[in-house]
Amino acid sequence: MNIPWTLKYKPKTLSEVIGNEDAKKKILQWIKEWDAKPPKKKALLIYGPPGTGKTVTVEALANDLDMELVQSNASDYRTADAVQRFAGRSSRYGTLFGKKRLILFDELDGITGSADRGGLREITKIVKETGSPIILIANDAYNPRFSTLRRSCQLIEFKKPNKRQIIKLLSKICSLEGIYAEPDALKLIAERANGDVRSAINDLQALAQGRNRLTFEDAAWLSSRDQKEVIFNTLRRIFYAGSIRGALRAVNEADVDLDMLLEWIYENIPYHIKNPKELASAMNMLSLADLYRGRIATSQNWELMRYYVDFMSAGVATSWSRKSRGWTPFRFPSRIMSMSRSKAARGMLKEIGLRIGRRCHISADRAAKDVIPFLRVIFQNNPEMGASLAKWLGLDEEMMNFIASMRNNK
Amino acid sequence: MWTEKYRPRSLEDIVNQEEIVNRLKSFVKARNIPHCIFAGPPGTGKTTAALCLAHDLYGPGYHEYIMELNASDERGINVVRETVKTFARTKSIGEVPFKILILDEADNMTSDAQQALRRTMERYTEAARFILIANYSGRIIEPIQSRCAPFRFTYLPEEKIIERIKYIAEQEGLTITEDGIKAVIEIGGGDLRRTINVLQTAASTGKPIDEETVYSVVGRANPADVREMMITALNGDFIKARNKLRELLLKYGLAGSDILGQIHNEVFRLNIPDKWKVKIMEIIGETDYRLLQGSNEEIQLSALLARFVEAGEEIKRG
Repeated sequence: MNIPWTLKYKPKTLSEVIGNEDAKKKILQWIKEWDAKPPKKKALLIYGPPGTGKTVTVEALANDLDMELVQSNASDYRTADAVQRFAGRSSRYGTLFGKKRLILFDELDGITGSADRGGLREITKIVKETGSPIILIANDAYNPRFSTLRRSCQLIEFKKPNKRQIIKLLSKICSLEGIYAEPDALKLIAERANGDVRSAINDLQALAQGRNRLTFEDAAWLSSRDQKEVIFNTLRRIFYAGSIRGALRAVNEADVDLDMLLEWIYENIPYHIKNPKELASAMNMLSLADLYRGRIATSQNWELMRYYVDFMSAGVATSWSRKSRGWTPFRFPSRIMSMSRSKAARGMLKEIGLRIGRRCHISADRAAKDVIPFLRVIFQNNPEMGASLAKWLGLDEEMMNFIASMRNNK
Repeated sequence: MWTEKYRPRSLEDIVNQEEIVNRLKSFVKARNIPHCIFAGPPGTGKTTAALCLAHDLYGPGYHEYIMELNASDERGINVVRETVKTFARTKSIGEVPFKILILDEADNMTSDAQQALRRTMERYTEAARFILIANYSGRIIEPIQSRCAPFRFTYLPEEKIIERIKYIAEQEGLTITEDGIKAVIEIGGGDLRRTINVLQTAASTGKPIDEETVYSVVGRANPADVREMMITALNGDFIKARNKLRELLLKYGLAGSDILGQIHNEVFRLNIPDKWKVKIMEIIGETDYRLLQGSNEEIQLSALLARFVEAGEEIKRG
């Protein structure tokens, strides 16, 4: 029942592997060459960041071409002897039933100097003598340790699949699992995975398995999933601390990221502290905390950290009289959600700003303030003038639409 | 954009900042310039002067000999270490033996980057001259200031701005009334770039430009609601005001200091007792200072909004 989704949804055929179309084509081409005679380079060295589909590509390929895949990865011993035992024979003789053989050395980065003594040299030797295609996989092909080996290999690079491709895959899995996922939630997971498909699928499983809905807020929780209770408890102790000491202890005892904790306090202050005077005082404490955070960043004087902690905990705690009427639940920092939701839009705004800046000799920030608002009005007033300006500024249609829609609610 | 169309090409075309222009002309004549700092408010011709200087020095193909960088876009030290250095150390092949690096909004550079810049300036003086452009020269570290010839740009006199508006109106065949001109100037606030942008936006309506046209286009352009945000806070709704603030920061991409600038402008127009306007101003000033040193603009500005909530409550109580 509880199989990892990375396994359950592993691609069976090459076309199911997302991204890296070029690399896949090159691998297929190389393996086809073997039908006539062994190509000049008898081994491929596939390299790229984790979770980009290197191993599954080779597996899917063997499956598509009905080859026998002989695999060795970091969990196997890979001393010279072991390598010889594993691949020496396979590389020279055919299989029993006439299937062609494909030899895979996975996780080459994991071959250690001492425990796997002579392993790399042996692999290099086998590559030279082999009668079967050999594929090697590593994260970093340019590690000096591989320099000899590299010379007898054709190098194939795997790149991170883009966000859109990952989102598509995640939503396919969701529909197969019968889960309704908010598009924003998948976007967030894909963003956080940063091209690592395996970790994206793992995250999705951790969040969505056994449920029928996945919201953005669920996804936002991911990074602090196991800390939810810790954070709530800390917040409770800060907001309703009986004393300065209690508030300080709450922070010191909790193993939480302080910047994240500050966001939590910031979000929740107005929901708990309603009296205007107390609200202003609590926010002033948070402002002071942030002031010290800024000073720490510029001066690199970490001694100042204690003031950061003091103001956000004791400062907030003593800002109010702690008269709580009933139970007010703590809320997830909406600023974090807004930041994450608006990330694409901010990226777009920045790009537009940079293009305008290049033409008008100003920064992207100044363009956002001084040019874009006027441009939007010009687009409305006078599409002809707008279009020629956009053309001159080097803005494409998507950018023009973005600007036009910036204030459609009014 | 009319700001570019009507940007002077040569020092000869610049009608303002006479003293500065004369000194720059003498550099051209001598075919040599020192490192310079052009300091002054936005829209007073700093970048224009730098570009014109380059034009007059190298001729129309001056782009080959200069590099423009905006420190707000790339404010880290790596830009200095990589981009600036690479540019500075390759020799110029033209008849003028050095190239010019124009570093706009230099006061936004981190102090690390400024330190790195200082060494680069020294080391490659022969091959490259630097023009640093800044709103406040005080934010540029002392050792760099002492290596540069300072030039102080000031707001253009109103009659010069009027002249410019009339010139552009004539070239573009616009009809603009006297009160239209006044309105454009009022909103431009001495910033010629902003003034011309307002003029072009007003012109895009295709109607004769009078006071009403100007204020209506500007009203539509302003992501404003800065005023609305302030009033929301004064009326006691902190959470709603905070959401508005977030929208300004995230959706419109406004810098915290720009929002604070607008808040500052609005305070005197608020319908509250004068005594309070001054009290609030004190808080705004403190916020401005914290914005510079703090790390999160939203938290700093939110704290200001919370003070507005407090002030609103006290004003109500009288």
